[in-house]
Amino acid sequence: MIFDFVTRLKNPFFLLVFAVSLAACDVNAVPRLDEQVSASWSQVENQYQRRADLVPNLVATVQGFATQEREVLQNVVEARAKVGQMQIPDNILQNPDALKMFEQNQGALSSALSRLLVVAERYPDLKSNQNFLALQSQLEGTENRLAVARRDYIAAVRDYNTELRTIPGKWIASVMYPEAELKPTFTATVENADQAPKVNFSSGS
Amino acid sequence: MNGKRPAARAFSFVSAIVGLFLLITPAVAQIQFPELTGRVVDEANLLSDTKEAEVTEMLRAHESETSNQVVVVTLQSLQDRTIEEYGVELGRHWQIGQEGRNNGVLLLVAPNERAMRIEVGYGLEGILTDAQASVIIQNKMIPAFRSGDRTKGVVEGVREILKVLKAGPQEVVAPPPDDSRFPVPPFVIFFIFIAIIMTLRATSVLPSGRSQHFGGFSSGRSSGFSGGGGFSGGGGSFGGGGSSGSW
Repeated sequence: MIFDFVTRLKNPFFLLVFAVSLAACDVNAVPRLDEQVSASWSQVENQYQRRADLVPNLVATVQGFATQEREVLQNVVEARAKVGQMQIPDNILQNPDALKMFEQNQGALSSALSRLLVVAERYPDLKSNQNFLALQSQLEGTENRLAVARRDYIAAVRDYNTELRTIPGKWIASVMYPEAELKPTFTATVENADQAPKVNFSSGS
Repeated sequence: MNGKRPAARAFSFVSAIVGLFLLITPAVAQIQFPELTGRVVDEANLLSDTKEAEVTEMLRAHESETSNQVVVVTLQSLQDRTIEEYGVELGRHWQIGQEGRNNGVLLLVAPNERAMRIEVGYGLEGILTDAQASVIIQNKMIPAFRSGDRTKGVVEGVREILKVLKAGPQEVVAPPPDDSRFPVPPFVIFFIFIAIIMTLRATSVLPSGRSQHFGGFSSGRSSGFSGGGGFSGGGGSFGGGGSSGSW
């Protein structure tokens, strides 16, 4: 088969057909999808940043009402600090380990924040505080945008990886974009994301 | 057996099947969306015909004034999605809001799931913030829904949304970059571009098929603005802004 194909290539007619069909394939698909992945990744980072920016205000507001929830608040502050300290390498999209690390830190902040919101339910004054309500809705909105951004990112990576692994794209990439690699994507949302958080009604500590 | 042939045939058969599955899988995961029949899509029948017309008129007037597209949707079922997920997907599917400005808002109510949501397009997130959307839902819509007056809940919700949108940004928010940078609106540039092409064509080659070509161009462009009978999304997109509530 392949030999056949090579001998045919010497025939100018087949060469022309081959060139035309190659041109008909989307030669720019790989860089285009690559850009899409980068764009949707920056949206993900953007939303995480937005969430991190909300945290200090939220902590300050909750602190005013729920002074005895020191541990929960401390957890949020620590997780936020960890997220802030993390250096995001430029090549995070080529680096599954860095992405995993990023995921872990953000996941820790997610669970600390959801604990905080659960705890906040116990304080009627806090729950009716306008500032808290505004922050809570902003946080919810940000979490939702985050979910959308992550879904978009996963879809973009899937398109990109599919292009690299399926037939015309695979050939095109090996000839024209040999540096293109499969990209890592998110694994699960958070650890134990499928389990609802346990709320303990009995203890007050 | 005579060796290669069946193997090759089996291979092509398998790859055809795999190809078919690749085509089918995304379709299965899709949500079934209602058709965009107007500015009010009342699938769950929460509004009487007269109220529907009234709300439609409010929304139409708002669009012709500001170009913001606001659409009200009531749903029979969320098809096992959260209302947040459904809202984004529906907004993107209908492409509510003008292209490039992404200034669409969806007001979704799913009475069977007792869920409601204000879904805000990218371009309006700075004006109708999550906090404001939440206030509208909590203070205006949920009380009405709890007291059983769903029509009032929807109408009040729409009224509040339009009020916030008209008031404009409360804090200093950077204007959307793509429109504000050019003093010349994009469609003017578009026409200049066409004019250049036309002069080039007139002076040199290809006189044939010209009129058909340009007819096709311009009709696709202005569909979002059609005020009269038909209504369609203008090409806007959504990123999950807004707020939800339950009653």
